[in-house]
Amino acid sequence: MVKRFKDLNYYQLLQVSLNTSPFEIRQAYKNMLNIYEESSLATYSFFSSDERTEILAKVEEAFLTLIDSKKRIAYDEKLVNIGEVSRSMLKDHEHKKATPIYQINKEKTGSNYLQKIRRKIQEKGVKELSNLIIKDDVISGEDLKNLREALGVEVEEIFQATKISPTVLQAIEGNDVANLPPSIYLKSFLKSYAEVLQLDTKRIIQGYLTNIEEDHG
Amino acid sequence: MKKIYSIGGGKGGSGKSFIAASLGALFAREGSRVVLVDLDLGASNLHTFLNLKNPPRGLDEFIDKKIAHLEDVALATSVQNLYLISSARCSLEVANLFYAQKKKLISAIENLPFDYVLLDLGPGTHFNTLDFFLTASEGVFVATPEPTAIENTFRFIKSIYLRKLKQSLKEADIWYLCRDEIVAMSRNGLTSPIDFINILVKKDIEQGKIFEDLLNGLKLRLVMNKVRGQIRENLGRQIVEVCNRHLYPGFDLLETINYDSRVYDAILSKQIFIGKYPYTKTAVALQKAARKLKQEQPIAIGLES
Ligand SMILES: Nc1ncnc2c1ncn2[C@@H]1O[C@H](COP(=O)(O)OP(=O)(O)OP(=O)(O)O)[C@@H](O)[C@H]1O
Ligand SMILES: [Mg+2]
Repeated sequence: MVKRFKDLNYYQLLQVSLNTSPFEIRQAYKNMLNIYEESSLATYSFFSSDERTEILAKVEEAFLTLIDSKKRIAYDEKLVNIGEVSRSMLKDHEHKKATPIYQINKEKTGSNYLQKIRRKIQEKGVKELSNLIIKDDVISGEDLKNLREALGVEVEEIFQATKISPTVLQAIEGNDVANLPPSIYLKSFLKSYAEVLQLDTKRIIQGYLTNIEEDHG
Repeated sequence: MKKIYSIGGGKGGSGKSFIAASLGALFAREGSRVVLVDLDLGASNLHTFLNLKNPPRGLDEFIDKKIAHLEDVALATSVQNLYLISSARCSLEVANLFYAQKKKLISAIENLPFDYVLLDLGPGTHFNTLDFFLTASEGVFVATPEPTAIENTFRFIKSIYLRKLKQSLKEADIWYLCRDEIVAMSRNGLTSPIDFINILVKKDIEQGKIFEDLLNGLKLRLVMNKVRGQIRENLGRQIVEVCNRHLYPGFDLLETINYDSRVYDAILSKQIFIGKYPYTKTAVALQKAARKLKQEQPIAIGLES
């Protein structure tokens, strides 16, 4: 049965994984505001103003809790105590980066998507396609997008498998420098992106960084 | 196995007929036998997208009992394997269709001997339109990025859920359980399907769960049509996300399709858009939509009960 919105825990509410980084929490929060703000085309006729106020308050509360490391630890403790998550699922929140791919493999939904993507890649043959599409030392967001689409992989699937938010994925594929995450995160996202599509991670990271430097350096 | 898709959505002019015709042509081009059924009785125009100016035969003959088999009025089009059952000569509004006529028409549609059956619906949320929509194994609804169109889309979606629920409760003969409350609630406008389910759960938990699962299983796909500019790319995804979160989780974004003034050109020059301009962004998106619809098996049970 579907959980009602108001019964979701803060992680579910913001659609982030349990060990997500503060950067991603901020991104997720921005996404939520985009969707639920009064001015949002997607929802302006969906909710009454009472419903909207209630939802936004809940989103705010979730954000303010998870972005504050002390509050977050206390909240996680609470989730463990009510049996919603097990302690072993919690990693140390201290030095959090984007979740590396090997961790995601253990998560059920992520790995389902991962398998789905693997199947597509096997069908299409990623080697030939990437040789065709990525010819240069400079790799643009467009190249990545073309390759992904040629493989028949959706942004949604990458998001599910890597938990890199669609907004970030779009910024990467759109060479949208203004909205790219700080370089330490960007590198780690590019790494996950490359890994999930079974590409040469070093080459992708190098190529993409050269690309944005050329454009805007 | 035969598949029936319905193409609907509350707002007039969002592109339902254009998309139905394009998907039909794309399916047919890959060798499947496809029939388009124009169910916009009273304001039909599907034939125009297929360059059939005055359809010589149509649905009216079946409704008037002049023929026994609906497929007898399927007209060949300029696309091989693509047929059209037109309602251009129907003098009837969908609202004026009698119950028995509707039943008969729906069962004839279900038995059409084709690989793909695409139902092009009219605007609005009349219960006859909803019943046609629910005939399909998968529903596609078309919206455009304007506030009014999105508002109508949400209304259409909620109406679909309510109609499905009511139909199934009647079939299971337990409509009486919650009829009075529903009627009372509906006086203040459209009831949410979730409120509806809540009432049912209160009366009978077991039944409530059964029907909630039924709604969880409906598969609905959104097409965002006539999209212009970059900012709108995300809109379809957001709407789907909101529906999945706040209604029931069967929503999927089929495609975002760009506005292209050549859609109009193609009609004037009497050619099918995807044939005349196959490499435009709009045509490529339609091809993607067709491929996605065809390939992906519904994850959950379909709309048919
Ligand atoms: N992607 C598009 N780009 C440009 N024009 C479009 C596009 N889609 C549809 N149109 C145009 O919009 C108009 C309305 O389209 P269509 O008749 O398919 O809408 P409809 O939803 O079937 O309307 P109704 O509810 O009245 O049946 C038509 O003139 C059509 O050519
Ligand atoms: Mg129409």
